[in-house]
Amino acid sequence: MEVESGSDDFIDDDDDFGGSRGKNVKGKGKAIDRRKKDKGKGKINEQAYAWEASYTRSWDTVQEDEAGSLQSAVDDLLARGRRRRLLAPSSAFRRTIIRHLILLLDLSASMMDRDMRPTRFDLMLEYSREFVLEWFDQNPLGQIGVVGMRAGVGERIGEMSSNPQDVLKAIADRHKLEPAGEPSLQNAIEMARSSMSHLPTHSSREITIIFGSLTTVDPGNIHDTLDACIKDKIRISVVALAAEMKICREMCDKTGGQFGVAINDGHFKDILFELIPPPTQRAASKAGGGASNPSADLMMMGFPTRLPDTSPPALCVCHSELKSEGFLCPRCSAKLCDVPTDCDICGLMIVSSPHLARSFHHLFPVKPYDAVMEASLSSPSANCHGCEAPFPKTASAMSGEGISPLGRYKCPICLNDFCSDCDVFVHDVVHCCPGCGK
Amino acid sequence: MSDFAVEPSSHMSVILDLTPAQWYLSSLPKNEYPLSFRSFLSQTLAFLNSHLASKHENTLAVYGALPGKSVILYSSTDSSVGQDETVADANSYQPFKTVDSVVASQITDELDALGDSDEEAPCQLVGALTKALCHINRIMNPNFTTGASDAPQPTREPRIIILSVSPDLSTSYIPIMNSIFSAQKLKVTIDVCKIFGPDAVFLQQAAHLTGGSYIYLERRDAYLQHLMMTFLSPRSVRGILAVPTQEKIDFRAACFCHKTIVDIGFVCSVCLSIFCQPVPVCSTCRTKFPMKTLQRLNASRPSFPPQPVVRSMSAARTPTTSTPPGTRTPSVSNHHADRTTSISSSASAKVNGSSSVAVGNGMTP
Ligand SMILES: [Zn+2]
Ligand SMILES: [Zn+2]
Ligand SMILES: [Zn+2]
Ligand SMILES: [Zn+2]
Ligand SMILES: [Zn+2]
Repeated sequence: MEVESGSDDFIDDDDDFGGSRGKNVKGKGKAIDRRKKDKGKGKINEQAYAWEASYTRSWDTVQEDEAGSLQSAVDDLLARGRRRRLLAPSSAFRRTIIRHLILLLDLSASMMDRDMRPTRFDLMLEYSREFVLEWFDQNPLGQIGVVGMRAGVGERIGEMSSNPQDVLKAIADRHKLEPAGEPSLQNAIEMARSSMSHLPTHSSREITIIFGSLTTVDPGNIHDTLDACIKDKIRISVVALAAEMKICREMCDKTGGQFGVAINDGHFKDILFELIPPPTQRAASKAGGGASNPSADLMMMGFPTRLPDTSPPALCVCHSELKSEGFLCPRCSAKLCDVPTDCDICGLMIVSSPHLARSFHHLFPVKPYDAVMEASLSSPSANCHGCEAPFPKTASAMSGEGISPLGRYKCPICLNDFCSDCDVFVHDVVHCCPGCGK
Repeated sequence: MSDFAVEPSSHMSVILDLTPAQWYLSSLPKNEYPLSFRSFLSQTLAFLNSHLASKHENTLAVYGALPGKSVILYSSTDSSVGQDETVADANSYQPFKTVDSVVASQITDELDALGDSDEEAPCQLVGALTKALCHINRIMNPNFTTGASDAPQPTREPRIIILSVSPDLSTSYIPIMNSIFSAQKLKVTIDVCKIFGPDAVFLQQAAHLTGGSYIYLERRDAYLQHLMMTFLSPRSVRGILAVPTQEKIDFRAACFCHKTIVDIGFVCSVCLSIFCQPVPVCSTCRTKFPMKTLQRLNASRPSFPPQPVVRSMSAARTPTTSTPPGTRTPSVSNHHADRTTSISSSASAKVNGSSSVAVGNGMTP
């Protein structure tokens, strides 16, 4: 499986933090991420290191116009999102959707540093929990395991699991994770690597390291570990809380991961959450149209029926307990406690179809709407086709690339006009045009 | 009642399925409980009025899903929709009168505008659903970009009620699922009342995933009672009232290749496209699959072609049904027979197998 490093990057430079730049110069853009856009990050020029740039807060970028209104600033933010959408290819993305991730947490003494409030350690736990929830939301069939780095060894904190609650439980108790001693990158990475060695070939293998220390205590040569990871096609990404270490950047660059140094709390969360969207795969068409991808496979899956807790109790096949609620295997009608799982009787992989459907909008994005620049001769609709808001009667003086002075945005397929709110909502949330259903 | 005074106002979007052919079938006297469109509309309007009456600030939008198009019929938040030309009548409460006359006249206009060829087109439920979501998005986030200074206060607990008579449209599987996920993001509850026809798999999933109720209407002469008991209360109140809950939820999906509804599918590991049979190349992402896998999957497949109904016939899925599965249609409706609703009316209590067989006959004219 080949993973292209550049494709995780934003196409716009102004959303790029210097630290994660690396060799990612051939960024191809990606599907819009509402969360990021809403923050409206400021422009940071391309620089070698993140801490050399000043972190621009979202409220600094908002400028009032002469009339003291925020209208122009808001329009500008909307237009920027619109432009990004136009630049992104409208064809289907290929993404590695079955992901396996090991979250490597630094539990060394340096995590007790208070440069982030309350401590690096507490902040890391808090953000990790949010990260896990959001990650499972966007990668429904993925699995996460947790490994800690403490007192010179790697420590298995949570086994690979596809259930967010299991992962959250593993990192819920901060007393069990109390930082101590020195970290060992090599030991921890080896442990993560060994726990991913059995995985099927059609899934991605990733390690995300949250690293607060500036040293690592390794028993051997860490470059051997790095080579083994490259061989196993493991992608390593590092979020550093202190400063850049050469070995960390090298690991990310060589395995196609992302490297970032957090400047403050908000930035820490931003660069961690940038690792959530599924990485795009190198398109097969590059190798001459529909070349076979050795890691791709066709999987047989069953979609179950869910029984309510009012149904007559029956024995489940997984625990042999008498239960009312559960799921029925569509092939052998065995009763299962939870999905996704493999049926214990017939071996069929059982998934709930909404889990699969959550990622479909990656495959069939809505075509971007065109900003209507001048009033057409044919009688235009008075209201937005989506929300029925009336369009302004007169053209506003505001202009700019991607902003319609009439406040109208036209679907290229069904030719209906939409207001700018609906334009954003349709493309970022609904992923389905109200006019044509595409 | 003092508790109800602090309840926030709620917004309700109602989607009426206006497929003429299905309403004709529903009104046939051979159904055990025939329900004509006229009777449906008058009961629905009574329900809409009671929503407006339960709190002064409550807002309402009504959408129509017609063959091939979807329209907004009425909106209490936009004066531009459905201008009211009726003169005030001293004997009726004006908001009720407005809703009734606007909805009725809009429906008449839309149905008159339908040509013969249009009636063949599939019902545009997705369009109505996405429009309702766009509308809720706007009233939930009054934004200064719309320039409306008299924007209504954000309402709490928005919900969408789908009154459906058409069968599942498998071509709209992906848009419906996308709408469900955006409803989840907006914290919109989707309630479904299936008035006529077979169970709608995707609407079951919609109600389940958004925390709403899915009701299969067995006693269609008790339609208004079902509406009032189940759908009138906003979500915060439903915990106190025992509203009927969904029995089984069918998690089947539609395949991308033939748009059939499948219970066992073949899934591309790269893009998660679903196919009803092993395919050598994924039609969505153009990935070629290894020959070995195809041979293995073809060998392990059951010899008969996938049939969506086969699964609902299996006796194991309806353990409480004593009737052995006979012909296809009655057994489909057989598992409505053991549906438990907690409405304590005589309506749902006395339902037995025979009534649902009659419903089944009704849908195969
Ligand atoms: Zn099974
Ligand atoms: Zn709009
Ligand atoms: Zn369109
Ligand atoms: Zn198919
Ligand atoms: Zn595919």
